[in-house]
Amino acid sequence: MRYIQLHKSPLFLKIIFIISIAIIFFIGGVTFKHITVLKKSSDFVSKSHDVNTELERLISFVKDAETGQRGYLLTRDESFLKPYLESKNAVKKSFNKVSKLTENSRAQQANLKKLLFYINKRQNYLSKSIYLTEDKNYDKNELAKNLVIGRKTMDSIRSQIEEMMITEKVLLNYRQQEYISTMNYTPLLIYLTLIVTLLLITIAFIKMNRDLVLLKKTINTLTVANEASNLAEIVGGFGSWQYNLDKQTFTFSDNEYRLLGCEPQSFIASSESFYKFVHPDDVNYVRENSINIQSEVNLAPFTYRIIRKDGEIRYFRALGRVVTVSSGERTYIGTTSDVTAEVEAKQMIELRNRDLESSNKELMAFNYIASHDLQEPLRKIETFLSRLVTKDYSNLSQSGQQYVSSIQSSAKRMRVLIDDLLQFSRTNKGEKIFEKTDLNIVLSNVLQELAPTIEDKKALITSDVLPTFDAIPFQIQQLFTNLISNSLKYSKENSAVEIKITATTCTAENEENIPDTIIGSNLYYKIVFQDNGIGFDQEYASKIFILFNRLHNKNEYSGTGIGLAICKKIVENHRGFIIANAIVNEGARFTVYFPVVS
Amino acid sequence: MNTDFINICLADDDEDDRLFFTDAFDELKINTKVSTFNDGVELMDFLHHPDSILPNVLFLDLNMPKKNGQECLLEIKKDEKFNDIAVAIYSTSSSEEDIELTFINGANIYIKKPNDFERLKKILSEVVTLNWQYHTSGLNKDNFLMRM
Repeated sequence: MRYIQLHKSPLFLKIIFIISIAIIFFIGGVTFKHITVLKKSSDFVSKSHDVNTELERLISFVKDAETGQRGYLLTRDESFLKPYLESKNAVKKSFNKVSKLTENSRAQQANLKKLLFYINKRQNYLSKSIYLTEDKNYDKNELAKNLVIGRKTMDSIRSQIEEMMITEKVLLNYRQQEYISTMNYTPLLIYLTLIVTLLLITIAFIKMNRDLVLLKKTINTLTVANEASNLAEIVGGFGSWQYNLDKQTFTFSDNEYRLLGCEPQSFIASSESFYKFVHPDDVNYVRENSINIQSEVNLAPFTYRIIRKDGEIRYFRALGRVVTVSSGERTYIGTTSDVTAEVEAKQMIELRNRDLESSNKELMAFNYIASHDLQEPLRKIETFLSRLVTKDYSNLSQSGQQYVSSIQSSAKRMRVLIDDLLQFSRTNKGEKIFEKTDLNIVLSNVLQELAPTIEDKKALITSDVLPTFDAIPFQIQQLFTNLISNSLKYSKENSAVEIKITATTCTAENEENIPDTIIGSNLYYKIVFQDNGIGFDQEYASKIFILFNRLHNKNEYSGTGIGLAICKKIVENHRGFIIANAIVNEGARFTVYFPVVS
Repeated sequence: MNTDFINICLADDDEDDRLFFTDAFDELKINTKVSTFNDGVELMDFLHHPDSILPNVLFLDLNMPKKNGQECLLEIKKDEKFNDIAVAIYSTSSSEEDIELTFINGANIYIKKPNDFERLKKILSEVVTLNWQYHTSGLNKDNFLMRM
């Protein structure tokens, strides 16, 4: 989430920047335009003023001419003609000036044309009057008439100039109006755009500030993470390297250097500087594996040897992966872990495994010896004894006969021992084939097998319906046989034997007999064998499962002390538990738990 | 008269066992002709000899020097001329592997050497008088091992 925000904000800032620039340009344009308008207006005002002044001067020049003419007419003094003549030029000059000032106004130009007409007319009449009076006998009426027309023309000039001044005033007013109206909304516009710009800049600032805080936080997190990874590398005994696929540059972490037995960053990281440490025998192997870096996304883990700076040979394990950052740059990130201890442990385990295998083979050989070679002489002893008994028994003395029967019972006992030992070693054997086993069928087989003894002891055996599950059938049969024959053997002499077999399911946590350490399958089949025999002291309950452990003298009860050890082995083979409870002279109870595998 | 005899062969390296075997047949009132061989090589030489009268029942010990019982069994079962010989394995071992292997290789019955002479006599008389055709047709892993 945070990274996405950081990733998006430059675009946002760019947009804000572009908008701000556009607004500033706009404001600049508007301001420039308005200042131009302002300058035009002020130019116009001064021009209007000039026009008015010039018009005043124009009329005064015309008046000067008239005054001069009048003075001449009255006095006939030639000196009065001088201003009259001069004013002609002055009028002309002044007129041209006005004409130039008003060249942009069509109305004023039209007015000027009229004015020119009147001025010319006035000047003509002025000249005509002077010409008339040249003659001594001039017609006074003619002169008077001339003067009247001149005065009328003068009035026209005056009114024309007044009109021009009014026109100029109207124009000025209009311009001023326009200027005022422009000036009215200009500040508002500028103010508004300024506010908008300010707003945008503020938003940009807030955004940048937030990004900056975020960036700072991210940098902090990264610093902590970096430190954590450094620490992890030290604790975990691994180093890391990065290879920039685009720039083809390497970086090693501090611990990578330490793993090589060097000071952190003590040489420049490169593949060549690294290969110097790789064991000469493994260099090609490492190179072969590294070729894939260019093409594969994941570097498959491989193990190789290096020679540390101090000369010690260590086992390294490399693992890598390509990471593409948002800018599109691809970096190969790899870890190197020092797996020397692991490799050595593995080698040790392999060695031990080999030892175990060979000792297992020896055990197998011993089994064969027990099953074949030990049995052979014993069988011969027994066979010869049987021959002796049938053929020459009567020839023996009483003590001799006694000895023979003692030898017979000893030989028999030895055979039982060998058979039981064989049975026990067979339950230890590796090949355990589990198949769906109906315990009811197993039980009926066992009862059939033990039928003579059951009949002999007049035993009553009752059983619940037993479950069916994956088991090793012959082992379960052995287990049932051993448990039931045990009950039959250790029965009370003068009461009928009763064996009750019950089956239920239970959970591990509700059974105190099942250790708490059991995890996983919690459900168990619980099969109980309860008898009413001689029982035993609870104190010995766990001892009876130990090989060759007997609670009774062998003269009282025959037995090898192997039967229950076999039972325990079988139950353990099925990942179950067997527990014995007993009360002396009341009976023994053997409880077997088998895990329910779904 | 020769045809009334049941021809029996035993290959066993153990002298005592050969003695028990012949003694047992001596005491049994059955018309038998017993020949014994000290090892597999001796036995096979005899069987391959053109003049030899092939036995009706061959008792084969497994653990023998030179050529053991398994090898003899394979050789006999491979050769068609020995098709009529009933092979009884006669061994001290009662290991599952031996029983399984000899059953697969075509032996007809497996006898674990008993440790009582009377029982030996009983077993041998039973095996010799067995109806082999009947026994072989219904042969399975359960009745392969001779139980008394």
